[in-house]
Amino acid sequence: MTPDVFLFWFLALTTVLAALGVIISANPIYSVLSLVMTMVGVAAIFVTLGAYFLAGVQLIVYAGAVLVLFVMVLMLFDLKHEIHAFTRGPVTGAIKIAAVGLLGGMIVGAIALSANSLMKTENNGIQTVIEGDSTKALGKLLFSQYLFGFEALGVLLLVVAVGAVALARAKGGTHAQH
Amino acid sequence: MGRDSFEIIVNGVKMIVIFLMMVQVVPILVWLERRGSAFIQNRFGPNRVGPLGLLQLLADAVKFLTKEEFFPEKGIKFLYYAAPVSALIPATLAFLAIPLGAPIKLDTFEMFGQTWGPYTFLIQGYEIGVGIVFILAVSSLAAYTILMAGWGSGNKYALLGALRASSQTISYELAMGLSIVGVILLYGTFNLTDMVTSQQGPLSFLFQGHTVTLGWLPNWGIFYQPLAALIFYAAAFAESNRLPFDLAEGEAELVAGFHVEYGGFKFNLFFIGEYGHCLVASALMVTFFFGGYQIPLITPDEMLVHVQGLMGAGNAAAIVNGLLHHVVFLIKMAVFVWIFIQVRWTLPRFRYDQLMDLGWKTMLPWALANTILTAALIYVAHT
Repeated sequence: MTPDVFLFWFLALTTVLAALGVIISANPIYSVLSLVMTMVGVAAIFVTLGAYFLAGVQLIVYAGAVLVLFVMVLMLFDLKHEIHAFTRGPVTGAIKIAAVGLLGGMIVGAIALSANSLMKTENNGIQTVIEGDSTKALGKLLFSQYLFGFEALGVLLLVVAVGAVALARAKGGTHAQH
Repeated sequence: MGRDSFEIIVNGVKMIVIFLMMVQVVPILVWLERRGSAFIQNRFGPNRVGPLGLLQLLADAVKFLTKEEFFPEKGIKFLYYAAPVSALIPATLAFLAIPLGAPIKLDTFEMFGQTWGPYTFLIQGYEIGVGIVFILAVSSLAAYTILMAGWGSGNKYALLGALRASSQTISYELAMGLSIVGVILLYGTFNLTDMVTSQQGPLSFLFQGHTVTLGWLPNWGIFYQPLAALIFYAAAFAESNRLPFDLAEGEAELVAGFHVEYGGFKFNLFFIGEYGHCLVASALMVTFFFGGYQIPLITPDEMLVHVQGLMGAGNAAAIVNGLLHHVVFLIKMAVFVWIFIQVRWTLPRFRYDQLMDLGWKTMLPWALANTILTAALIYVAHT
């Protein structure tokens, strides 16, 4: 086993186990901390693929900013009711089984669809541009070929932010009366 | 011994040495801070143990190690013990990625009965192409240490302190990241070594095809990006939770904040982590805006010629040259660490809403303006 292979399996197993921890652990705090671990694992896998910039951005944006907010919000809530609602009861059980079924189907489907793709040698439409300075190449691609998608995502995020504020205000925000 | 394993060992030893350097500097900084604060406040400070009170550090270490082991009743064991250990990781990883001295270029030399080829030894834990992004990424993970400590302690003061600390960290991270964008535009690279290299020699830049040179000023980033330097340094204070931004610890309001339940060596680890952030911020300040390890107005290569004139050509001159630049870096860094200390004992604490207003309504727009202005200026200068 070469070091590269060992590293990949180590990181992949850590990431998948952490991702499993997100959905298995009953306490939302542990769920979010596992999600952080998943993000760090994905960033590390990006590093092994040579995409250093993506790895850094993954850590800054997801692990550094988005998930800190998740953790903070979760810590401020009284979670006893939620923990109870999401761990007991036949409806929750049915949802869980359905989710496991969906996930299993997705995994089987992904394996079945990608089984032969590693063997193919011809270039099937996906450009391989990462040569030399990958950050510069990424920037150029993002602001030329994929400009529309990039801008559309920006608008989408803005809509989500405005929507979240609107929803929170409609329910009275942090000063809601129960 | 093969070449590969030799190189792996050299790099491993180098990382351990730099890590130990960072950790060992902390007691000295604590002494400096206590003596300095006493000096500022017209007191004596620790002056009983050893000459100038320097052995106080040793006594403190013994005290930390022999304190009673304590675990809060309602705490969460895993998080409580994991937090102080992981407090050291972000600062250490970031510090290892900073170039601390000029690369030492060694010619072939004999050792262990073998000839070793020309070898460039970097005074740096590891060189990463996307240095800045890496440092921002690992230091953004520092918020989790604080949150883990706050949650794991099972204490309301600790939790409130942790929430304050992490919200402050992510607010100021934005201003910090945006202030660095101007620097990245200026040097056109993420690589810290390249940044230092492009700051060598006297101040000179290209403006619309003409080369402007000011011989009496070094070519430092501060002269191109003064606003970015100010915002970066101020945000660094907030990131490392130092006064005037130490709302997370606010003794008068929160007892001691997120580490209220920690005592002895576990508290000390948080302490080292905090000073580690100060050191990283000071080192980055030097790297981005004050020429890194370079002696003002002289490039490392010119200095090497001077050193060779004194010592004769050879590997010894190269090593002395590298160490000389390392010392220059440490001196520059010490200036900024001292400013950290001086500010802590000069300014009062902000109120929490003032802190958030400063971060979001003042520093963020100014950093954004600086980015746009820099981009426009670079466009004008290069046409």
